[in-house]
Amino acid sequence: MDTAYFIETIIKIVVLLLVFSALAGFGTYFERKVLAFMQRRLGPMHVGPYGLLQIAADGIKLFTKEDIVPQNVVGPIFKIAPVITAATAFMAAAAIPFMPSFTIFGYEVHPIISDINVGILYILGVMAIGLYGPLLGGMASANKWSLISAARAASVFISYEVVSGLSLLAPIMMVGSLSLIDFNNYQTGGVGSWMIWSQPVAFILFLIAAFAETGRTPFHLIANDHEIIDGFGTEYSGMRWGLFFIGEYANMFFISFVIALIFLGGFGDGSVGGALALLGKVSFIFFFFLWTRAAWPDVRPDQLMWLCWKVLMPIAVINIVITGIVIMF
Amino acid sequence: MANEITITIDGKEIETQEGEFILNAARANDIFIPAICYLTRCSPTLACRICLVEADGKQVYACNAKTKSGMNITTTTENIERERRAIMEVYDVNHPLQCGVCDQSGECELQNYTLEMGVDSQNYTIADVDRPSVDWGHIHYDPGLCIVCERCVTACKDMIGDNSLKTVPRGAGAIDGAFKESMPKDAYAMWNKLNKSVIGLTSGEEMLDCTSCGECAAVCPVGALVDTDYIYTSNAWEHKQVPATCGHCSAGCQISYDTKHTSIDNPEEKIYRVSNEWNYVSLCGAGRYGFDYQNSDVTKDETAFGAALDAFKKADTINFTSTITNEEALILQKMKDKFGYRLVNKDAQDFKTFLRDYSVVSRSSIYGSDLEKVHNTDFVVSVGSALKSDNPNARYAFNNAVQMKGAGLYFHPVADPVVDGMSKNVVSINHAPLQEEAVLYLLLDLFGNKDLLPTKIIDYLATFHSMKTVTVTETIKEKVVTQVTKKVVNKETGEEEEVTSDVTKMVPKKVSKEVEVDDNRLLEIVGAPDKFEETLQKLLKKKETFSLIVGPDLYTHPSSQNIARLVALIEKYSAFELVMIPTLTNTLGVGLICDLDDEAGEYAIGYNTQGDYVLSALGDGDLDMPAINQQEGTLTSINKRVNPTNVAVGYGGYVLNDIANALGLKAEYTIDYTEQLPTARGFKTRKFDDLPNHYTNAGEEVRGYLLGKMPVRMKKDEHVVAIDEDQALDGTLVYLANPVRQFTPFTNKAHQLISEGGLYMSESALSGSELQVGDEVSVKTEAGEVSVKVISDNKIDGEIAYLPTFDANINSEALFGGYRFTTASIEKV
Amino acid sequence: MSFEKFKDRNVGEDGYYMVDIEDYPETGWGKFKQVASRSLKGELFVGLWVVLREMFKFDIHTVQYPKEKLPIGPRYRAVHKMLRLFESGTERCIGCGLCEKICISDCIRMDTKYDENSRKEVTEYSINLGRCIFCGYCAEVCPELAIVHGGRYENASEQRAHFVEFEDMLTPIDALKAGQQEEYPGFGAIIPGSDKSVKKTPLAY
Ligand code: SF4
Ligand code: SF4
Ligand code: SF4
Ligand code: SF4
Ligand code: SF4
Ligand code: FES
Repeated sequence: MDTAYFIETIIKIVVLLLVFSALAGFGTYFERKVLAFMQRRLGPMHVGPYGLLQIAADGIKLFTKEDIVPQNVVGPIFKIAPVITAATAFMAAAAIPFMPSFTIFGYEVHPIISDINVGILYILGVMAIGLYGPLLGGMASANKWSLISAARAASVFISYEVVSGLSLLAPIMMVGSLSLIDFNNYQTGGVGSWMIWSQPVAFILFLIAAFAETGRTPFHLIANDHEIIDGFGTEYSGMRWGLFFIGEYANMFFISFVIALIFLGGFGDGSVGGALALLGKVSFIFFFFLWTRAAWPDVRPDQLMWLCWKVLMPIAVINIVITGIVIMF
Repeated sequence: MANEITITIDGKEIETQEGEFILNAARANDIFIPAICYLTRCSPTLACRICLVEADGKQVYACNAKTKSGMNITTTTENIERERRAIMEVYDVNHPLQCGVCDQSGECELQNYTLEMGVDSQNYTIADVDRPSVDWGHIHYDPGLCIVCERCVTACKDMIGDNSLKTVPRGAGAIDGAFKESMPKDAYAMWNKLNKSVIGLTSGEEMLDCTSCGECAAVCPVGALVDTDYIYTSNAWEHKQVPATCGHCSAGCQISYDTKHTSIDNPEEKIYRVSNEWNYVSLCGAGRYGFDYQNSDVTKDETAFGAALDAFKKADTINFTSTITNEEALILQKMKDKFGYRLVNKDAQDFKTFLRDYSVVSRSSIYGSDLEKVHNTDFVVSVGSALKSDNPNARYAFNNAVQMKGAGLYFHPVADPVVDGMSKNVVSINHAPLQEEAVLYLLLDLFGNKDLLPTKIIDYLATFHSMKTVTVTETIKEKVVTQVTKKVVNKETGEEEEVTSDVTKMVPKKVSKEVEVDDNRLLEIVGAPDKFEETLQKLLKKKETFSLIVGPDLYTHPSSQNIARLVALIEKYSAFELVMIPTLTNTLGVGLICDLDDEAGEYAIGYNTQGDYVLSALGDGDLDMPAINQQEGTLTSINKRVNPTNVAVGYGGYVLNDIANALGLKAEYTIDYTEQLPTARGFKTRKFDDLPNHYTNAGEEVRGYLLGKMPVRMKKDEHVVAIDEDQALDGTLVYLANPVRQFTPFTNKAHQLISEGGLYMSESALSGSELQVGDEVSVKTEAGEVSVKVISDNKIDGEIAYLPTFDANINSEALFGGYRFTTASIEKV
Repeated sequence: MSFEKFKDRNVGEDGYYMVDIEDYPETGWGKFKQVASRSLKGELFVGLWVVLREMFKFDIHTVQYPKEKLPIGPRYRAVHKMLRLFESGTERCIGCGLCEKICISDCIRMDTKYDENSRKEVTEYSINLGRCIFCGYCAEVCPELAIVHGGRYENASEQRAHFVEFEDMLTPIDALKAGQQEEYPGFGAIIPGSDKSVKKTPLAY
């Protein structure tokens, strides 16, 4: 491996970390604002113009808040759990091509940290590991609500792993590769060539699974909102809690990229327009996450399981079979 | 006495006495008849007419109609309802809408009856006249609020005996004639009367100059008469009412200390006023206004307590006064039993001795009657007591008996204008000091049953009688015939003619006659007025029950033993029932509980009095003690009743029981001793908490318990000695007594009563001497000397001045050798 | 401001209707049907549309307290006010003690005395607002319309004693002269039309 590649990778990692950490912050701001507007409220208004500096205020608060480790928790696990969440979220980002390659100072930059040929598998796999964050955190917290929440999180994540995997199988069969670059390239033929048209069922299934895996409304079951308790994060405070938060928002961004890349044509032909289009698509998906939160209620855990195993999974399987048959003939 | 009869009120059969007023019979049986102007124990005035009832089909006033056997009474009929409503409407005419600030609001009978009668609109009207409110000194009168029920007038006359209030013209215009037709009859008549008067002072002066009992303000059903000190300080409903017994004199009146927090900033309880069940008990000015005599701001001072214990260990004597509870007296007695202290208490000792001498004749440990009985007797005699200041309730009983168609004799060396002003049916005889025995012999002579009296006494009494010839002028009517000539118009002729006719007239004519009459020298000795015997004959008409009140002058009399026997003889051999006035609040109780000693020892503890180490509830001693309004305990009253009293205001220091406990007695609370009071002396083993303290609707006194009768083990001895006619006090005389509203330094601590004592002289005595009010004089007797200011007192008359005991700065007792009168020289300094 | 709305205390039945709530499906098939119909009917999109529409309408209802405040109803019961007589400017309170008596929190106390003008003077009057539950009984019972509720509901403080003092409650005399004292229409105020239920008392002058 040459040094330039090494340096480039390091730079890319750092940029990615910084950009998405910051984005997570902005994400909260947007979420609050969007939710507020949809609910005829104003949202944060007091810190900075239109409450813009709220993110900074929150950041300062999270960083300076006392780090409380309650008495009966299992110390090391309790401490490591948020790191797992945040780390897995960012690790998943390694295989995502955020933009088309471009040349800067005569040096061609590939805005993907590592274009591994099993990209999708990798992303799904790493995201699945993310389960350990809530699970361990909840179990180590010595708090019954945390524990219940952790159990729910585990069941939801594992179940929807199945749906997301199966739903992606059909597009993978069509593209014949696991690399996201290949997916992108498969859809360069304009809007009409987007996977969403050929695989609408897979798209919907994956979208639903994405909500479940990021734990967003209407599947926001990992936090016990109805008990006015913040689920597995109950015992966390300060920056540890912040890491969970960053993890959740980073996940949302990355899954938005994944959806855009797989189903919505990615960055298309790699032109600047394509790059902007990708950002637009990602933004829309992110906005969609917020939108649903404003509009829809949560479902019950049993309903969620029922939906997963009795509805979505069979549909996914049927979709694969049909796709296979179509490909075969 | 009256017979038990059965009457029916509203279909309910009730038992009552024949001749009882319907209202009282109903009240005693919890049947409600509206009534405003009637005061139990006083004569009905018929001012309000609201007590209308129908008795055997006839409308009568329940407060003055007497019950007859088998009477059938209906308390309300349609017509009566109309009358009552009209009466209440009339009372509301021009009555200011000022309940918001009125002191009576919440306990106002006008409010109550207006609501009771459902007055929700007004039909009557009359132009109002200006009725500005007036300040009468300790009482404030607002004629605007007055409903002219005359209860104040009645109370002052029939109960108190001051006659200080009367109705005066209101100066209002006439009632619109149309109302006469349209209004119910009684309501109109009531209004007519009401519209003519308001209340004014009998004296015509600006300020009330009476014995200041405040009873008029207490009985006032509205806010017209209010105690000046209380006005606008509180609302009736804010008070906690602490049932208690007045601690100032031996009457032991039932009172209620009305307390509430001192102010916004100070949550400590404060007594705002004293209220009473004025239908059944009347207070004097000391009881009414002398309520804040508590020993305040006291804390537990451990060093002082230690010093007190040391003093008790050193002491061999305890000097004390009788302003203590029975329980405290018992603690002292127990300390005597255990540690051999001598208990010295002059007043209780004298009274006790007097009682013992009395029992030698009477075979009864204690006098037989009480003030309640005095109220209901027809003929009352008081001997040896400055009635109005020694025991105001005895005076009220005396007056009440006289006012309710009775009569009375008042024997006392000091002339008392209040007694003289009670009624023309009271004769006061100002005998010379030391001649009390002669008075008692006179009573024996006049009223004693000559068939039963020991012959020796009859013989002795006979020595005072002689026959003498007097010229009496009699008025006889004579027939006189005169000729009168009149001019008459002849009807037939129409001319005037002179007609002469004989007219016969009866003309009174005076004739003188010589008659032999019996001359009673005793009358001369006691200084009875002329024609006393005739007056007495008149007074004694239709009198059936007799009461004799004897007072403290007798207990300290040099021949008190003989006097006690004479008193007992009167009780025994005449129709008189006897009451003795105990000198101080609990003199009777202390006398019964404590074995007292004559002489003090070397080192004395003084309790509320002098000593080498002083315990004092007055706050001026070496160790503080609680005053009676800060204690729970019992007091023995003149009515031989053991009355409970309660804590009105808090006390933070040590009590006598703490000392007793520290010395080895054992009782958690002082009141643990209540049930240990000596049964051998008539007390009962009743727990303090079980003692009631109230009156029933029938007026029955349900308070504490009555002392039991104890057998007397002394040998019977009815021997009495002759009087010494010559014994007399020469020169200027001074008496030991208090002005009205003062008894002890405790009364003098109350903020409304506080005053400086002095030498009290009557107005006539003052004008006859060179002394002026305010002059500093030195009063010197054989026993001692004090230097005091001259004070004018219009509540006494005659030459005898008096020195008070309420002012702690004047040691008056030191001037007297026991007897309450002494010769003294009074010199201006 | 017109108070008609507040004075009309008759809550009628207009504008009310029953909400029809379906029964829960019992069988599995029923459940499936419910899910299918709900998913396909596009109800979810109605939800999305509603919130999106509101976002674009941008009809914001937020009141930026404490910069902005909502007007409060005339019957609102916040920190008390003591009113003065319009004509003479003297305090209306006559010290009758009814508010003190009725207060269920026992938080009113007053000291009164007989003053130089032979009137009852309230020398001190205090409400312990730390205990007051703002029930309005005092205002309702007051015969003089002296104690009323004001609109000042912000009374956070380090000490209860700071909440309010008598001087703060009493209309300042200059405010009264400037015509700033308003009659209180809330608890204890005269009910409109009560004139009709009053029987006139005949008067003779
Ligand atoms: S006297 Fe009675 S009715 Fe008259 S103002 Fe006073 S409380 Fe009211
Ligand atoms: S205070 Fe007593 S003595 Fe004086 S006027 Fe009133 S009732 Fe009569
Ligand atoms: S002052 Fe009171 S007690 Fe006397 S007449 Fe008037 S209302 Fe009756
Ligand atoms: S509002 Fe209620 S609790 Fe508060 S002072 Fe008035 S009566 Fe008392
Ligand atoms: S009720 Fe009104 S007039 Fe009476 S004391 Fe209270 S504030 Fe004053
Ligand atoms: S109570 Fe009988 S007339 Fe007044």
